[in-house]
Amino acid sequence: MFVPILGVINAYWFALPLILAISLVYAASRHEAWGRILRHAARLFVMITGVLALATAILLLINTQV
Amino acid sequence: MDRSTTVTDTPLKNRSLAALLAATWPGLGHLYQGRYRKGLLYLICIFGLYAVGFALGDGANVYWSWTNPLRDPEHFRLYYLGQFWVGLPAWPAVLQATLVHFGHQPLFNGFMAAPLLDPSMDENVRRVMEGVVRRAFSLHQKYGGLKEIGDIYTTIAGLLNVLAIYDAFEGPAHRDETTADEPDHESSGTKAEGATA
Repeated sequence: MFVPILGVINAYWFALPLILAISLVYAASRHEAWGRILRHAARLFVMITGVLALATAILLLINTQV
Repeated sequence: MDRSTTVTDTPLKNRSLAALLAATWPGLGHLYQGRYRKGLLYLICIFGLYAVGFALGDGANVYWSWTNPLRDPEHFRLYYLGQFWVGLPAWPAVLQATLVHFGHQPLFNGFMAAPLLDPSMDENVRRVMEGVVRRAFSLHQKYGGLKEIGDIYTTIAGLLNVLAIYDAFEGPAHRDETTADEPDHESSGTKAEGATA
């Protein structure tokens, strides 16, 4: 199976397909027009990823200051 | 806004049936409604997420047990409350839990059965369940934290399908947006009786 191969990937990379799926499904539930779905999904993907990256950066910063 | 170019004719057909189909398999309700591209998107995103998560847990991270969360919170499977909403791919867990609960041997060598042992179990049931427990506890040794990622993937997939079920029943949240620049869906010629409700 492909699971042993996935085992060598850093766990944080698994967040990206998850965020992508969440963004696409949420956007699809809001709009019917395909273009709007993709635009909304792209915006949401960037926003979620950005917030997560910012939160990680803050936590790392706090962690190194302690 | 030009009302003649608004999305008000989303073909929802029989909305209850569409919602039921969406609950049975991700995207199926939308395929029934003729919203093929959306159905395919839900199928790939939701079922794909569930399938990858299921594989990450080696098929042992989707299970249910008939446990009272107030009496035995440790063995209560909270994740399954999300996983359940993926539909048929997750429902065998309920069948297995019910069989074990009533003292019967689980089917398919304990596939999707909860890795729990009970002293009151019949000898045959215990033999199968010991295999299930062994497999579940070997996951951490074999794959490390991938099982947890699988738990999250499968649970989020189920929760996302709740959005898809709602979309199949009620249509998209923004129904009155302009679509002059792009076609909205494949079968915009058909109108649903429930769509204008």
